[in-house]
Amino acid sequence: MTVAVRSTRRAAPRKPSTQSMWRRELARGKSVLIGVIAAVVLVIIWYLLTLPGGLIQPLFLPPPQGVATQFITMLSEPYLGSTLWGHAIASLGVVLEAWALGGIIGIPLGIAVAWWKRARWIVWPLFQLIRPVPPLAWIPLAIVWLGIGDVARVAVVFVAALVPWVMNSIEAVRSIDPLLVSAARTLGASEPQILMRVVVRTGLPTILAGARIALGNAWTTLVAAEMLAATAGLGFVALNASRVLDLDTLLVAMGTIGILGAALSILISSAAQWIAPWAED
Amino acid sequence: MNTTVIKTGAPMREADMNDATPKMEIRGVSKTYTTRKSETYALETTDLSIGTGEFVTIVGPSGCGKSTLMMIAAGLEEPSTGEILVDGSPAGPAGPKRSVVFQRFALFPSETVAQNIGFGLSVAHVSKVERTERIKEQLTLMGLEQFRNSYPKELSGGMQQRVAIARALIVRPEILLMDEPFAALDAQTRTVMQEEVSRLHRRMQSTVFFITHSVEEAVYLADRVVVMSKRPGRIKKEISIPHDAPWRTGDIEDAMTYGDFNELRKEIWDLVREEITTH
Ligand SMILES: Nc1ncnc2c1ncn2[C@@H]1O[C@H](COP(=O)(O)OP(=O)(O)OP(=O)(O)O)[C@@H](O)[C@H]1O
Ligand SMILES: [Mg+2]
Repeated sequence: MTVAVRSTRRAAPRKPSTQSMWRRELARGKSVLIGVIAAVVLVIIWYLLTLPGGLIQPLFLPPPQGVATQFITMLSEPYLGSTLWGHAIASLGVVLEAWALGGIIGIPLGIAVAWWKRARWIVWPLFQLIRPVPPLAWIPLAIVWLGIGDVARVAVVFVAALVPWVMNSIEAVRSIDPLLVSAARTLGASEPQILMRVVVRTGLPTILAGARIALGNAWTTLVAAEMLAATAGLGFVALNASRVLDLDTLLVAMGTIGILGAALSILISSAAQWIAPWAED
Repeated sequence: MNTTVIKTGAPMREADMNDATPKMEIRGVSKTYTTRKSETYALETTDLSIGTGEFVTIVGPSGCGKSTLMMIAAGLEEPSTGEILVDGSPAGPAGPKRSVVFQRFALFPSETVAQNIGFGLSVAHVSKVERTERIKEQLTLMGLEQFRNSYPKELSGGMQQRVAIARALIVRPEILLMDEPFAALDAQTRTVMQEEVSRLHRRMQSTVFFITHSVEEAVYLADRVVVMSKRPGRIKKEISIPHDAPWRTGDIEDAMTYGDFNELRKEIWDLVREEITTH
């Protein structure tokens, strides 16, 4: 009797996750394919429009092959002090620094605000006041206070990254099922154990979603910040190229900004899946 | 001579408990939930003593305050009046002395089955070796070995429920509070689990407070069945089950072949039905 029951108890594990994972992979493959086709079509149209004697003058839109050549040149030859690599690294460096700093300060801040009433009273009004100020509006102040070096840019980008880090950390704590806290309590968990092992861990997917938004914010803000105050970086390249009507270079810079932004977003999504494999999708 | 027999016979029988301190005492407990919009009178003033090693089951219509009573007994909900005593003194905050199997399993979604089960041990800093050993024991007992590394969302309701039970048992609680712990199980597994809990209770002598919708289950497992009225809940009747009831050693299917069992079942079922049909 027991044996028979045991066998039904050990029924094969349900595998919805594997199946939906396949479907997701398939969907992703399909969307990549569609994306590639769309890009190719766009380049062909671009090529046709910019043929000599075509609809658009190269002064407004240079042909794709020109941009491609410029891209390859810029990989090895310095433009305004460094190669495209150098500019990309300069931009990435500032973004990652500011983004990480935002997390280091934003996660504990958000958790504290959501978990301890006292912290909420102190931090929340101030935060609400700062939050609606567009990050770029900090640039003038940052220039006055910190000059036009990396520090000023890190500061501005940091402000942009901080808000989603904090907001999502707060949301992560608030959305926790109180019954989980109760369960932990009956199992003998102390307050710090409940906070770290139950609240933060369960809220990790929400915090990671905040990390992605923060990185996106940081990236867009950085490019804008570089346009106003910088000596290197992709935004700096774009601005200078536009001043001298060097559209090849401008498009190279814009393309690189777009591709790196997308790459960062994909990177962080995959990292999130790896860090929190239990998360609902 | 006679007195000796009674004393050694069944220390958890209600009649014999007068001289001993009850394991848990629910004293004058009532509960009114107050939300911004409304007040819900969930539980009328309730008194209940549970002896050491006693198995008390609670039946009553849905919404009559059974879970509320259990949450208060666990120290997770403040009673509006009254108090909970454990071993004669105020019970204090929730802790592993009174472990709980929740009606909504309340498994930690970010932890695997093994981590969920071992939670109470790891927060108490039990050594890794002992922890692994005891987790393994629970996994085997619950037939969950294959799922040790699965996350709760990957499990069926019945398997989740078994994880919740294992997680509560592993801390070897003095008092075990179970809120419809078998509701999500299929019939066969439920029968096995009922036997398992019955056996465990006899072996470990833990005190059990057990909510169920199944009258058969209530009679089969209990030393005493408590029937509650409809909301606001109060104790309508307590029925002691003979300690030497012959069905205790078999499974619940066998129990139904005993006339006494069926009489008790009918008596209790009628009491519950009155609460559902009268308005
Ligand atoms: N946190 C709460 N806030 C407000 N009202 C509540 C709360 N919890 C329970 N109630 C109300 O108290 C009453 C009793 O609920 P309880 O969950 O204790 O019933 P129950 O007997 O366990 O029911 P069931 O058998 O369906 O599980 C219900 O009317 C319910 O709506
Ligand atoms: Mg209930």
